[in-house]
Amino acid sequence: MIPRLQAEDISRSFAGTRAVDGISFDLNSGELLSIFGPNGAGKTTLLKILAGVIRPDEGRVSVDQNVVEVSERLWRSQIGIVTHQTMLYDQLSGRENLLFYAKLFDLEDPEDRIRETMKTLGILEMADRFVGSLSRGFQQRLTLARALLHDPKVLLLDEPYAGLDLYASRLLRDRINSLKDGNRTVVLVTHSFEQGLELADRVAIQARGRFVFTGLNEGFRLTEFEHLYCNTLQECGF
Amino acid sequence: MNRSRMKKISMSFGILGVAAILLLHYMVFFWVPTELSMGIVQRIFYIHVPSWWVAFISFGVVALCSGVYLWLGDDRLDAAAVTAAEGGMIFTTIGLLTGPLWGKIAWGAWWTWEPRLTLALLLWFIYLGYFLVRRSTLNPERGKRLAAVVGIIGVLDIPLIHVSVSWLRSLHPEAVVLNPDGPTLDESMLATLLVGLLAYSLIFVCLFTVRYSTELVDRATQMQDV
Amino acid sequence: MKYLSVVWAVARKDLLVEMRTLERLTAMGAFSVLIGVLFHFSIDTSLIRVQTIAPSLIWMATIFVGMLGLGRIYTIEDENRALSGLLQSPISLDALYFGKVLSNSILLLSIVVLILVVFAVFFNLSFPGGWLGWISLSGVILLGVLSFVSIMTLLSAVAVNNTMGESIIPVLVLPLLVPIVIHTVTATNRIFANRPFAEIEGNLRMLAAIVLIFLVAGASLFRFAIEE
Repeated sequence: MIPRLQAEDISRSFAGTRAVDGISFDLNSGELLSIFGPNGAGKTTLLKILAGVIRPDEGRVSVDQNVVEVSERLWRSQIGIVTHQTMLYDQLSGRENLLFYAKLFDLEDPEDRIRETMKTLGILEMADRFVGSLSRGFQQRLTLARALLHDPKVLLLDEPYAGLDLYASRLLRDRINSLKDGNRTVVLVTHSFEQGLELADRVAIQARGRFVFTGLNEGFRLTEFEHLYCNTLQECGF
Repeated sequence: MNRSRMKKISMSFGILGVAAILLLHYMVFFWVPTELSMGIVQRIFYIHVPSWWVAFISFGVVALCSGVYLWLGDDRLDAAAVTAAEGGMIFTTIGLLTGPLWGKIAWGAWWTWEPRLTLALLLWFIYLGYFLVRRSTLNPERGKRLAAVVGIIGVLDIPLIHVSVSWLRSLHPEAVVLNPDGPTLDESMLATLLVGLLAYSLIFVCLFTVRYSTELVDRATQMQDV
Repeated sequence: MKYLSVVWAVARKDLLVEMRTLERLTAMGAFSVLIGVLFHFSIDTSLIRVQTIAPSLIWMATIFVGMLGLGRIYTIEDENRALSGLLQSPISLDALYFGKVLSNSILLLSIVVLILVVFAVFFNLSFPGGWLGWISLSGVILLGVLSFVSIMTLLSAVAVNNTMGESIIPVLVLPLLVPIVIHTVTATNRIFANRPFAEIEGNLRMLAAIVLIFLVAGASLFRFAIEE
């Protein structure tokens, strides 16, 4: 099977620091990769490179074998990204925010798409409330709606559970799980082992810009993975 | 270009520059005739004009290196731009300090809104903005890009400023004691001025190459430390 | 057409957010009135006929108000990292630039109208020009505002993630405004003095050239200023 998302030996430095250092991986359609790592490991930089926002100094990223160029607008229309920041305007309603993004992505029948997406995520009844007045859980689901509106092939999630209560986290987890069934490829960065392992097909530990551990998620138990994580970081000199 | 070669270049330009400066000072103080109407203080003209020349050339170098840096992303071009900016700021300051001295003779006033002086004042602030942007941006790489943007926009505005100020001044001719563009130059005065331009240019190139090589060493050291 | 619809979507979004919060409009509006008050107390009207210096006061007020309001062009994008969302979408960054120029020009133009009304009342100004005078004045104001906003839209991006914040913007922008000030004030002076159009035409041409240069430079350099 041809991998959906491929990263080949990508590296990126900032002010002399190697934020991402020779990272490679392949992901097939419908697979979810969870990336764990300490703060400053370069996980967010890696996601930005995958999103086509930052150009890598070396290496390349491709989706369905189409190589990313930073200025490649086609690439950005195939990627959706969710972070712990909503990237929405508090003074606009959910519907207005999504209409704005629909214009940016040049989507056909934006009203119908927005209605469908919001309905799927269970936030349709909140559509006309200002984003600033919504709870964190609803805001995060709206953020997911923004990321999914243009039907991206690849979804990048950077600490999506941050600030969510247990119930909201559960709901979000279910939504993310359903994305895999839709043949999307997902990369998830999280500090939570439980949330990261639940849905992962593959796992990676990133430290000092490198993948210091990669492998299939062979049903790791939580304590087992915690030990693996700590040992791996200790070996790296943490 | 390796460091020993750069050192040789800077030494050569330095030696030639110092020789030219010595020649210039000889010519200014002992050789060139005293200008009839302005007297002995007119001689500051031979310091003042060359410093302008270098200040504007430097800014051109800043803008050119900034443009190519944004295009190619080569850090050495950014190093060259900041080096030229430092030199340019020094020479602009010299020009701004000697300008009023010249203005007091030519116009009887410490400051007048003559196009070159006005442009130099604004150029000084454009340089200031260039350095402030570099230093105060949280991400150093972004700071270099923003400084390059400031450098390019600055150079685009310079001709607009000059044309606009000159045009405005033509509407309101000021009473001048003497020709504000400088004395009508005879051959010896022209020769002295040309030597001044050459001397300051050589000194600038020497300072530029020395500073550029130390800037590259600083950057390499920072990367190693990290 | 898609390009223009993106430009309009960005401008519309900015204006909608501003209409809902009225933060910048309120501050700029209040400033316009209060600066008029300060100008009044700083001028000895027994010595100076305000009508003759009114164009200078109007444009100085416009610049001060513009610095206040336009320095915060990217503040709404800073909250919730909305700017990242824009950068991650497939729009060309110059469309984002033009959208911002459009929305902020509309904002500043509305404030200039307020300044004209306030100053006309405060200083008892008269406008001797006929319909041609009003058209010329509108042209000068439009070009002056566009050139100012185009440069502010580019350089305000500098204040994002900057330790000096918005205080760096005046240092960067004010030297570049000199040609704009020269031509707008001269043209406005001549319009107020009811001079023939031929005397104003040169200023209008120069302002149009400045607008073109700043818009092209702004659109070309914007991505370097705004990218992370």
